[in-house]
Amino acid sequence: MRPVYVAGAAVHPFGKHLGVNAAELGFRAVQELLASTGISPEQVDAGYGGSTYGGSLLAQRVLQRVGVSGPPVYTVENACASGASAVHLAWQAIAGGFADCVIAFGTENLSGFGGGTLPLTTNDIEISQGMVMTAAYAMRAQRYLHDFGATVDDLSRVSVKNRGNGALNPRAHFQKAISAEDVEDSRPVADPLRLLHCCPNSDGAAAVLLCSEAFAKELATPSIRMRASVVRSGDFHTSYRDMTWPDITARAAKAAYEMADIKPSDLDLVELHDAFSVAEFLHTEALGIAERGQAYKATARGEFDRDGRVAISPSGGLLSRGHPVGATGVTQICESYWQLTGEAGDLQVPGAEVALTHVTGGGIFGVDNGACSIHILTTT
Amino acid sequence: MNTHTSPAPTLVGGEWIHQDGDHTALMITKCHNCGSTWFPPREICSKCASGNVEQALTGSRGTAYASTVVRIGPAAFKPPYVLAYVDLDGARLLAHVETDEALAPNTPVELKVGAIGEDDTGPLSSYLVAEVSEAPTSGDAL
Repeated sequence: MRPVYVAGAAVHPFGKHLGVNAAELGFRAVQELLASTGISPEQVDAGYGGSTYGGSLLAQRVLQRVGVSGPPVYTVENACASGASAVHLAWQAIAGGFADCVIAFGTENLSGFGGGTLPLTTNDIEISQGMVMTAAYAMRAQRYLHDFGATVDDLSRVSVKNRGNGALNPRAHFQKAISAEDVEDSRPVADPLRLLHCCPNSDGAAAVLLCSEAFAKELATPSIRMRASVVRSGDFHTSYRDMTWPDITARAAKAAYEMADIKPSDLDLVELHDAFSVAEFLHTEALGIAERGQAYKATARGEFDRDGRVAISPSGGLLSRGHPVGATGVTQICESYWQLTGEAGDLQVPGAEVALTHVTGGGIFGVDNGACSIHILTTT
Repeated sequence: MNTHTSPAPTLVGGEWIHQDGDHTALMITKCHNCGSTWFPPREICSKCASGNVEQALTGSRGTAYASTVVRIGPAAFKPPYVLAYVDLDGARLLAHVETDEALAPNTPVELKVGAIGEDDTGPLSSYLVAEVSEAPTSGDAL
């Protein structure tokens, strides 16, 4: 496999953009990517666009507006991992020697659904019983609290930390710090989760430029190395399952660490899929960053703060940055690009050299999640 | 509308429900090739793709693995409603709970059939669970 580089990143700010459809948001992000990297459309060998609700041929509808029409272009759907899956396919194309310059992006507009919980797949036995994503995470949270002695206050600490991080991020949906009291006073959603334990439904888009070593050297923009790119699907079964251990994350992480030849202790920052605050505990443990059942103590001790042992979601995470489903995995890589190139501004993790991005999702019965993707990025 | 009777409830998952007096059970699949247990039942094992499977009935009692009160959710289920993951003879399934509060982990429960909501076709009923005070008896298991 050839080495793969990230040589550019662009994000359309997340938030509520009612009436601006996914293709338009994606176009804005991709247009900025081309402008900031200085590449011309004929240099692009392939394009991959991730979206869950954007519709058929979304990637063509975005890329043809910036002159990328003719080369292979794919629309990728993998629920919350759609954008990261698009990046993974772009990585495959370059690592495999089939392309030297590829655009991967993710985009979503969720405002069109109104408020409340997102619509899930139909013809699913759990959804026909009233399952929603909030309930799935609420039950994981109840069991985690039961098994390991954590409390709702511990869950709230994740929301307070990540909203504090996002308060400094001009691309975040929520740019205001909150207190533990704010979380406690917010509306109950699915016990024990309250509204401020949950990420918002957001609109937004993000794009990255992936390229070969030779191509990266021709560009004026700084590059970082993509050391690992992994996608895994859920292990389907309907027997007993430990819902405090997201096996899909653990399997993807093991593969990613092996590919990158990196240990969890090498990580300076992680952009993690904190769709609900309990997810920070579940996934930092499955990623090997915290001992089993101990992540809530690490959060309480400040180990996951921006200047802590390893910064978890220094850009604000899904809780603050927002969750335009298909865009999330790509924006995590954009934020990590700026961290590793020293361009993260107020969000900068001091001395950041190794970053991991993690996205997992998909509410279908019989699996932890439908799809999980992990990327590991380094300065050199 | 020329009928004066309420529509019969739609029985969600009705093809898997077995009722005998007060005793409610569910149809599950046991794979003789790899030992997997499946709910809903199936003709081909989703682990090893073997057709060497047996359709079996569960007992009526299980244990709540985790539970929540859904306070914001689909209107058809009339939030707030209580859900639980229930462990039952090797299968874990999601079911409504006949209560107002989330069940604590490991609470013993019993299968029943009852109302779970109402959509534009009329009332919805399905298998659900209710807390029972005593632990499952050995004769209850498969």
